[in-house]
Amino acid sequence: MMLIPELWNWASLVWLAIGIILLVYFVTFKNVKPMQRFALGLGLAFMAIAFVSPIGYLAKGYVFSAHMIQHLLMLLIVPLCFILALPKQRVSSWFSDTPKPRLAKTLVMAGWLGGVGAMWFWHVPTFCSVSTQNASLGLLRDSSFLLAGLVFWWPIFGPLESTRLSPPSGIIYLFSACLGCTLLGIYITFTNSTVCPIFAGSADSLGVMSKLQAAGFTPMVDQNLGGLLMWVPPCSLYVGAIISLLCRWYKVLDPESVPSPVVGDHEPAHLV
Amino acid sequence: MSTFPLLQPASPEAQAIFDLFIMVVLISLGIFVVVTGLIVIALWRGKAKSDTPKQEFGSSKSEIFWMTGPILILIWIFVITTKLILTTNAVPKIQPTDATHELELHVTGHQWWWEIQYGDSSIVGANEIHLPTGTKIRVKIESADVIHSFWIPQLARKMDAIPGHPNYIWLQATKEGVYEGRCAEYCGTQHTWMKFKVFVTSPEEYEKWKQEAIAAGKTTATQVAKTAPAAQDAASKNAKLSTKEAGRAIFMEEGCINCHALEGLSTPSIGPSLTRISDRAIIGAGVLKNSQENLGRWLKDPQKYKPGCKMPDFNLTDEQVKQLVTFLWSP
Amino acid sequence: MLQPDDLVDPSRRNLFSWVCSVDHKRIGIMYMLLAVFFLLVGGVEALLIRAQLAVPKNDLVSPQMFNQLFTLHGTTMVFLVGMPVFTGFSNFIVPLMIGAKDVAFPRLNAMSFWMLPFGAVLLYFSFFTGSAPDAGWFSYAPLSTKPFSSLPGVDYWIIGLAVMGIGSISGAINIVATVMCCRAPGMSMQRVPLFVWIMFMQAILIVITIPPLNSAISMLLIDRVLGAAFFEPARGGSALLWQHFFWMFGHPEVYVFALPAFAIVSEVIPVFSRKPIYGYAFVAGSSTIIVLLSYTVWAHHMFAVGLGMGPNIFFAAATLLIALPTGVKIFNWTATLWGGSIRFTTAMLFAIAFLIQFVVGGLTGIMFATVPVDWQLTDTYFVVAHFHYVLVGGIVFSLFAATYYWFPKISGRMLSERLGKLQFWLWLIGFNATFGIQHLLGLMGMPRRVYTYDDNPGWALCNGISSAGAVFMAAGTLVLVWNILKSIKSGAVAGDNPWEGFTLEWGTTSPPPLENFEELPEIKSRRPVWDADHPDLADWKTEKTPEDRGHRPAAAKVAAWSFVISEAIFFILLLVSYVVFNSGDEIEGPTAETALDVSRTGIFTFILLSSSLTFWIAERCLRKDKIGGFKLWLGLTILLGCVFIGGQVWEYSGLFSNGITVNRNLFASTFFTVTGFHGLHVTGGIIVLGIMFMLGRLGYLTSKRTHVFAAVGVYWHFVDVVWIAVFSIIYLDVFK
Repeated sequence: MMLIPELWNWASLVWLAIGIILLVYFVTFKNVKPMQRFALGLGLAFMAIAFVSPIGYLAKGYVFSAHMIQHLLMLLIVPLCFILALPKQRVSSWFSDTPKPRLAKTLVMAGWLGGVGAMWFWHVPTFCSVSTQNASLGLLRDSSFLLAGLVFWWPIFGPLESTRLSPPSGIIYLFSACLGCTLLGIYITFTNSTVCPIFAGSADSLGVMSKLQAAGFTPMVDQNLGGLLMWVPPCSLYVGAIISLLCRWYKVLDPESVPSPVVGDHEPAHLV
Repeated sequence: MSTFPLLQPASPEAQAIFDLFIMVVLISLGIFVVVTGLIVIALWRGKAKSDTPKQEFGSSKSEIFWMTGPILILIWIFVITTKLILTTNAVPKIQPTDATHELELHVTGHQWWWEIQYGDSSIVGANEIHLPTGTKIRVKIESADVIHSFWIPQLARKMDAIPGHPNYIWLQATKEGVYEGRCAEYCGTQHTWMKFKVFVTSPEEYEKWKQEAIAAGKTTATQVAKTAPAAQDAASKNAKLSTKEAGRAIFMEEGCINCHALEGLSTPSIGPSLTRISDRAIIGAGVLKNSQENLGRWLKDPQKYKPGCKMPDFNLTDEQVKQLVTFLWSP
Repeated sequence: MLQPDDLVDPSRRNLFSWVCSVDHKRIGIMYMLLAVFFLLVGGVEALLIRAQLAVPKNDLVSPQMFNQLFTLHGTTMVFLVGMPVFTGFSNFIVPLMIGAKDVAFPRLNAMSFWMLPFGAVLLYFSFFTGSAPDAGWFSYAPLSTKPFSSLPGVDYWIIGLAVMGIGSISGAINIVATVMCCRAPGMSMQRVPLFVWIMFMQAILIVITIPPLNSAISMLLIDRVLGAAFFEPARGGSALLWQHFFWMFGHPEVYVFALPAFAIVSEVIPVFSRKPIYGYAFVAGSSTIIVLLSYTVWAHHMFAVGLGMGPNIFFAAATLLIALPTGVKIFNWTATLWGGSIRFTTAMLFAIAFLIQFVVGGLTGIMFATVPVDWQLTDTYFVVAHFHYVLVGGIVFSLFAATYYWFPKISGRMLSERLGKLQFWLWLIGFNATFGIQHLLGLMGMPRRVYTYDDNPGWALCNGISSAGAVFMAAGTLVLVWNILKSIKSGAVAGDNPWEGFTLEWGTTSPPPLENFEELPEIKSRRPVWDADHPDLADWKTEKTPEDRGHRPAAAKVAAWSFVISEAIFFILLLVSYVVFNSGDEIEGPTAETALDVSRTGIFTFILLSSSLTFWIAERCLRKDKIGGFKLWLGLTILLGCVFIGGQVWEYSGLFSNGITVNRNLFASTFFTVTGFHGLHVTGGIIVLGIMFMLGRLGYLTSKRTHVFAAVGVYWHFVDVVWIAVFSIIYLDVFK
């Protein structure tokens, strides 16, 4: 199937976005470390895959699970890569050294609500169908995913130490976000009603759908798979991030380099 | 009857599961030997020491080094598991039209017996399944009351019978023979005696069995119909009743008819169908071997053999039992 | 403030002083004694089961009796042995290990304990009604619903479990607060002994794992008593929902037992190898990961229910994944043994047996994670063997290790090593005979939960061996009881640190004084007592650990947040059941659209939400010591809450007069369940606010005690947040 040339959308607008990001990145940051350059490249590559490869084609109202893969790439993977691509010192130099508990708190709230909320919001049946059919709404959705993803990962892997969460709070942040995705994922996997009506029983000009359905890939299986995709990969990614936070926590040795606790006293996230 | 039904598969599916099982057992044995070996060596080396050993706190490198093996093994197990899930599970539900399944079997779990309906004929049986070799049969599994589980170790995976949630499996036997099946999910007092037997024969013999069963069903129906007026008539003149006719009267009057189906006479399925009961191998879903004597014993006091089962003790006299057995046993 | 046990003279050793005690050590001991008692009860039940199965076609007990026996055996061992015994050890040891005087909330601790015997009495009282529960410890619906279990046994089971669940959650919240708030200076979170860290994780797991059970059993109780049909497929309910909810509790519950076993072994193995634990961070971190993952594997108990291939593959992957953090631990324990100088004490022998038997249980667990194999093996004796290798071979053995290891600290006297070794060998032989052979029985196709079996070739022999093994275990248990009784009277005096242990509990007398420590050693590493005993080899010289930054959150707030998280899960699951039962196309009878007045409830929603605002203002007033304003705004909050409840009464009476009651249809059942439980929470909140109001009037609440009031606020705001979810899901119907 990968070989059908029509499934590849080489003329996608995403190239333009990639070009702009590359330009801005290399104009702003000089002397980037190879790892960061690699992270940027990886992020851009995933972005291209999300729109240029057959995933992009099938996500346009044909296959729900492809649509879900696209979302996950845009909400979780690409922003994570971008965040990791930011050089620490350069970004830190933009801000003063004083701790900013208020900014940090806002970022945490915005990140959590953005990360979990974007997923929920765009899967309300109406919004899901409309944004799939309407190109400009689709653009809005994809850019909101990217933005939400950036804000979501900022308190965990952001380049600014003073706006990072302490590891125990970060674990709660990620775990609760994981539960948020899990609930939606479980709902989509186990429900008998159609979550995104536009994907139910659509036919396409290339006849890919009929081939898929003949092979047993019915809309219901598709939706189950989509639900599992929303549930499993994000949670695995979060568990991975939690492991990296644990490593960070146990490695902290001298009190000077301890990231100061940023969350106020009446936050649930504040453990230690 | 084989001693280790789980290790003696008689269908492609059971064979595939068996192969996977053996693979995982071998992997597990390997891991067990390595881990236990390391522990025993460590203990052996530490046994004689009494001084303070070097205080080691661990290293991330060795942790990662030691965990790569298990990670790879788990990925491998995951891959072979997924492969087998994809080939055996769920397919019947998604594609009812796929593969050859002229014969569809409809199995319903009851507390505590199995109702068996054959899709290609009108035959309704209980606690017994007849199958031809080779054919891949779709089985629809349902429950009439609580959750049961349909399991024939040598032929197919276990599948729960859930009220309001029909499940489907493939059933395909390669070797002729008699196989044991049973309910595997705890379903109440008499979960223990909820067994059934599977008779796998050649397609020709199966066809023969089917025709005979259909014919026998019809015979029963006509017989039952024939004895009917006589029985009613005879009810007034008790003495002249033949044993069989008296049995029929008991069947009608004592309430058997309210729970049991008998072709041509009644259709309820609270208890198993009694049509052609003389052909059955077991009574009480496995608690007794079927014979006229055992059927009599069962009718005399079912609660003695299957305490808690839904069939009450009707306090029949020996004479009545004999009449009832004669009636049920005759074609 | 009164100190714990001020009320009772500690020198008095009478029974009354134990009943009234709020000392964590005494409560810990009571937990353990309760567990030992029920270990014997559950053990006798197990012996009866094995006696019945010793020979084919046995009729020692009736089938009904047999089913009651295995139901009570499971329930007792889980709720009355497993939970209390580890809570007991946690209670006794954790405060000592972190250098605290007591747990964070000593009175709550006493309440948590006394809930248990209360629940136990309820559970076992069912015997006197003539019908002990017999639907299995998992009580699968619809077997446990009224049409199939009409006798009150299951009701006693539900209420007993609910009571014990309350005790477990409050006990766990106490441990969470203790570990977070009561650590001695110098003891940073990264320096707590592994036992403390893992028991901390276990407590968190209890807090989040009991709520699904509470949701499930409250729905079942509503089914049984009020005639709803959540779990009755014949009336539109779902037989599978019970399984989902139950195993969402049931599987993490396995880790509630496994984590303490890991915790114990992580203390015993290093001490008797004379080495620190290898890879502290990995053992601690992997426990955290287990807590997180344990919530994602529940459906591997349901591979045979026909979930479809997607969920099957997912849960297989998750189950295989959770094997990794356990594997990390096995590796680290082995590495700790490696190069150590081993002392084969009884505690160490049990720990080693734990290690090997747990590996066996873990490996058979992997077999069950390979879904097709599970399709064959589940519900046979193979699975019985598997989980008994985990629960008995692993967890009970670790428990014996803990008993021999900490008994000197608890009682001040040593247990006899000679009798201990006798017990060890009896148990080792007995356990492996009983359960090892059951692997074979499983392969022979013997199903679980059958009261008898046909005389198939080999079955009688294997079952005979299995039953004979049980006798060895029973004998071993009697040896232990004898050993304890004898040692308390005439055992060798232990001294402070008989095992040359590393952690703080060995730095005080045995048994410890009421306030635990007269003087704390300096805490600069994970092994303060080792550092004090071996100044040259002190850990902090070679192995740096993060310094304590001295931050300790307010215990009341930690407790409030833990409680709120627990309650949130309870409500989420009730809302899930609402969505499940109301997202279908056709429901006969009233629905949310036809029966509810959205705009009217909207006004009451506004009223409830504004009570959060008034509460916030009241809190600000209290912080600034403006008691007058505080009382005014708090009074207004209470009033708004009462108005909301009044609105709910109005709505309910309207529904009732239209004939819409909880048993009408599934919409009505779910609606009344969700809003009813929310209403109960609001009512509870109003009562607590009333108490706060009274305390304010009497002058007990001042700006210095705002954290208590803030803790109440956490709860009050939570109740409002829940209502937002309830309102948008039920009234605004966002899922349609």
